[in-house]
Amino acid sequence: MGERRVLLAPLDPVHDVGLKMVKRALDEAGHATILLPPDLPVEEIVRRAVEHQVDTVLVGRTLGYNVPEELARLVDVMEATGLRSRVRLGVGGMAVRPELAAELGFDRGFGPGTTPAEAVAFVEGRDYQPPAPGEGGRKPDLTAGYSYRVHDPGIARTLETIAAGTVAWARERTTPGVERARIRRQLLAADPGSGAELRQEYLTHCDPRIQAFYREGVPAGRTRPLRREEILALESAAGARRLEPLRLRHRRSRPAVFVQYGTGCPLMDIAHNRVGEGWGADGLVHFDPSWSARCEGLMEGYHTHEEDGSLLTLENLSAVGAARQPWTLWQVRAHRGLNTPETVVLAAAAGADLTKVNMVYGSLGAGTDPGRLLVDGVECLALAAEFGLPLDVVTNEELCGVPAAKAFAGMLIVAAIAVHLGARPLLQPLFCLSPDVMVNGQMDDNFLDYNAAKVHALRAIMDAPIWPGAPIGFLTHTEDRVQSAVTTALHAALASSLDVDAITIASTDEAYSGGAIAAASRVDTLRATAEAFRFFGSAGMAPTGRAREWAGELVEAIGRILEAVLARGTLEVALYQGLLGGPGDGAYPGRAGRGTVSRR
Amino acid sequence: MKARDRVLDAIDVEAFLLAEDEETARRLALTLMEELGLPGADVVFLEWRGTGARVRIRSYAHRPGDDYAWLGGGERGG
Repeated sequence: MGERRVLLAPLDPVHDVGLKMVKRALDEAGHATILLPPDLPVEEIVRRAVEHQVDTVLVGRTLGYNVPEELARLVDVMEATGLRSRVRLGVGGMAVRPELAAELGFDRGFGPGTTPAEAVAFVEGRDYQPPAPGEGGRKPDLTAGYSYRVHDPGIARTLETIAAGTVAWARERTTPGVERARIRRQLLAADPGSGAELRQEYLTHCDPRIQAFYREGVPAGRTRPLRREEILALESAAGARRLEPLRLRHRRSRPAVFVQYGTGCPLMDIAHNRVGEGWGADGLVHFDPSWSARCEGLMEGYHTHEEDGSLLTLENLSAVGAARQPWTLWQVRAHRGLNTPETVVLAAAAGADLTKVNMVYGSLGAGTDPGRLLVDGVECLALAAEFGLPLDVVTNEELCGVPAAKAFAGMLIVAAIAVHLGARPLLQPLFCLSPDVMVNGQMDDNFLDYNAAKVHALRAIMDAPIWPGAPIGFLTHTEDRVQSAVTTALHAALASSLDVDAITIASTDEAYSGGAIAAASRVDTLRATAEAFRFFGSAGMAPTGRAREWAGELVEAIGRILEAVLARGTLEVALYQGLLGGPGDGAYPGRAGRGTVSRR
Repeated sequence: MKARDRVLDAIDVEAFLLAEDEETARRLALTLMEELGLPGADVVFLEWRGTGARVRIRSYAHRPGDDYAWLGGGERGG
């Protein structure tokens, strides 16, 4: 690219900041620039352009009055002197609309929001290529570079002993969930139309309402099959044109920002996901109906649901997954119910990038029997390892009232089991105003210290990726749009300041329970997060000394809890006896699936 | 007195409009306000990205200097 000679002229009484920014970018790109002062007559601008023998003229206009007249006069004078045919002519600024510039004979008009890089591309006569989302247009690997080494040898031994013992215990057992996952894999591999016997075997492991769906065509829950035209619309959404998303992060390359979806309808999900992607989300998290987690078996086909949560079927998942942008990470959760191993099978078959597993949370905070979920969860983790699906280990039992130390001990055990099986976990502490914190006052002064303490504590224990969630700021949101966007943005800024790997953010409808989340509410928290990232850049928030003190206390408490779990013999017994959260903490061993574990 | 008479100044409509480009979104935004019976609207904020636009559209029930219906005089300005 040869050097270009560029004249920059503010065709404006006072404003020249935009042109100064463009000049800096052009200078850095190696071009020769001449910046004129504001408020020169057009004849003077043209005379200077001729005098300096420039090949490009860029003018700026901010004030909104007489814009067409001023710009038209510049073009007229340039044509009268013969200059117009020899130079490229561009105009930009707050008062400029690209359509007006084209109408008046400019080669290019740059409206509000134009970046200096776009102006440089124009000067150099090439198409502007915006920075690719993700890592150069590819999906980032959130687990890259982590060793999963446990720093303290004592904690390392304890975790490995619990993990190995739990895997051995689970491998001697099976459940309807494990069996369905096995059969589902066989069904996926079978030739179309040849799976009748497998389907019959599958149904022997299902609830009556799922059996009724397959045998009599009765949809479970408040669902209905999609109509033909809806299915055609879904299928046509695959491979949609590429978006040019809002750039969320400013200077830092982390954290990846995830948004949650699960409107109930895959068509609406795709529309919402495109909104999220357009406004810069790096990842999407699938939410399934809560009733589905307590129902043995999954349906098939395209289905919509009248309530929150989108049904887990291969068809629904595949349609939503195929409509995402090439750089978008996609997580399908398998963390809490009776269909966890089969969910991982479907997630992998549909092309998901991540899953979510935590048997401790699922059995203490989400209603599934501990023994059942341990067997299913170990199978999930083995499948995640086999399919190469990283997984986060969420700690939502904190929302029941379980203290962070107990929730983190459970998370670390699950992470250790995952590593033992060859999977790659991400630790998901909650950035939340949890009941335990409300009672004990760790956030009476600020929201920084205790959230920072959680990240410090986890890093002190294990070299693993950290993904605060889910969503960040849980229980700090209200129905007010501005408050909700601000609290999300501030928690995002804290996460960025702590240099974590990913975050999950809510919409501004997080606290609204009267209906589905609106797309506009998704835009608002993404815009707010982008603004917070821009505000802080590579600078950071400064928690007080309490953050490190609390981190130390957390590490000590986690070590004691892990020792107690080990002493109890099996993780199953520890869960039933409340070592990782009990009735005094608001956690109760779940009942769904109780009595369904059998010896292999 | 109608509820609209008790609006201190402006009514903002916030929405996400599906539109193939920014100009279409802008036109749809103003049309939406007409359809809602809120004429004379202005687009306060619009950002379009690929599939549609986040918009905030405003119609004034009372501008400064109007006859303010909320004073109880019965006439509505704007």
